[in-house]
Amino acid sequence: MIVANYVAAAVLFSLGLLTVLTRRNLIKIILGLSLMEASTYLLMVSMAYRRGSTAPVLTSPPDGKSSSDLVHGNVADPVLQNFCLTAIVIGVAVTAVFLSAAVRVAQHYRSVDADDMTALKG
Amino acid sequence: MATDPAAVEHARQEPRTADDDLHRPIVGLALAGATVAVLVLGILDLPRAAAALPDIARHAMEIALPKWGQNEVVSEVVYGSRGWDTFGETFLLLAAVVSVVTLTRSPETRTEYVGESMAGREEQAEVDPKGGGGDSDEQESRQAEEQEEEEEKGGDVAPNADDVPLGMRAPERAAGMSVVVRVGARIAAVPLLVAGFYLCLWGYTPGGGFPAGAVIMGVALVMYTAFGHQAVGRAVRPSVVEPIEMFGAMAIIAIGLFGLLFKDSMFANFLTLAVPGTIRAGGTNQLFSGSELIEVATGLTIATFSLLGMKHDWAPDEDDDGGDNGSDGSDNGSDGSDGREEQS
Repeated sequence: MIVANYVAAAVLFSLGLLTVLTRRNLIKIILGLSLMEASTYLLMVSMAYRRGSTAPVLTSPPDGKSSSDLVHGNVADPVLQNFCLTAIVIGVAVTAVFLSAAVRVAQHYRSVDADDMTALKG
Repeated sequence: MATDPAAVEHARQEPRTADDDLHRPIVGLALAGATVAVLVLGILDLPRAAAALPDIARHAMEIALPKWGQNEVVSEVVYGSRGWDTFGETFLLLAAVVSVVTLTRSPETRTEYVGESMAGREEQAEVDPKGGGGDSDEQESRQAEEQEEEEEKGGDVAPNADDVPLGMRAPERAAGMSVVVRVGARIAAVPLLVAGFYLCLWGYTPGGGFPAGAVIMGVALVMYTAFGHQAVGRAVRPSVVEPIEMFGAMAIIAIGLFGLLFKDSMFANFLTLAVPGTIRAGGTNQLFSGSELIEVATGLTIATFSLLGMKHDWAPDEDDDGGDNGSDGSDNGSDGSDGREEQS
């Protein structure tokens, strides 16, 4: 039932969105964005899954099989795993940007409440 | 960031009504509910666990060994088939790190990320050379500052946490954690470091330099947590890690350009393929992975330690700047304690 993973990813994404929309604390907004980001990891890894598959590694084929059998065999999707790997590292760096901006904003306004940030108000 | 403090204060004091408290959750729930509905409708059409592998994934499986001599297909996709894409992501990482450095940079010149604060010390020494004034709290904090100064000069006032004899009464030194944590960190650091380099160097681990770089950064963070900034200060400082990161970025550009020069395509393999499963397997993929290790390890270290070392550069009070409300508060980095005390 991999669909359960898909639905969980959709719910996680929406919970992150709900946090961003309803919370005014900058740290909580960043946590919401991280939750939305994490939901995409779950979706990509779940989409890479194939029932009864092996890892996409062409080493140590079982007895009676060759590397060629592994190439055409039942394996998990390597491309989606690759997306997930790079997204995690980029996600960490982007979260660091958000956090440093939040600290600077907090120092400037002496508040982490987004409602107090009125500089761009028309 | 010029802001009218009066406007900020006005916004803060504006009375909130019951409607204000309700409209956000209602609108938020409606939007989040609609998003779930749209996403669920979309994902029901996604390929399931019994679907055939996409053509692009099967293609990657087929070319991994003959074209790249690599039996780890995920690594082949990261550095081979999608090398150009990984190049873009690497420089996205670099852009994020540069943004963090720009945002966190202290107004005063510093040689380390954490633990240094020289602003105002000369002036303080002129005004109060003996440092005798103030209540007991102030004297205590002054003693701590003096101790830090001694440590920075390399003095013999407990130069590191291990020099404090065991069984002493509290308070423990803030620079290092307890002996249990320190021993644990020492034991964990070596296998973690080896595992980090193994992940990258031994050509059949998924992702190579990406996870390996994160592990190396984790080791620096473990050492910092257990032993304090002095333990990592020699290695983790801008004058060391920033040039190393630039070297990693330039190495990635060079690998791409050599591919273009020798094989008419960016990031094409221009090296002779070694036996799969050995340390030189994968041709240029291994070089790319090693450069990525440098880039990710230093990039994440810079981002993390820049955040850890952020100073209390609070904006000035209205009274502090003689009524000049429009002044830029971010430049007032020398005196942080006032701002902290007044923050409720």
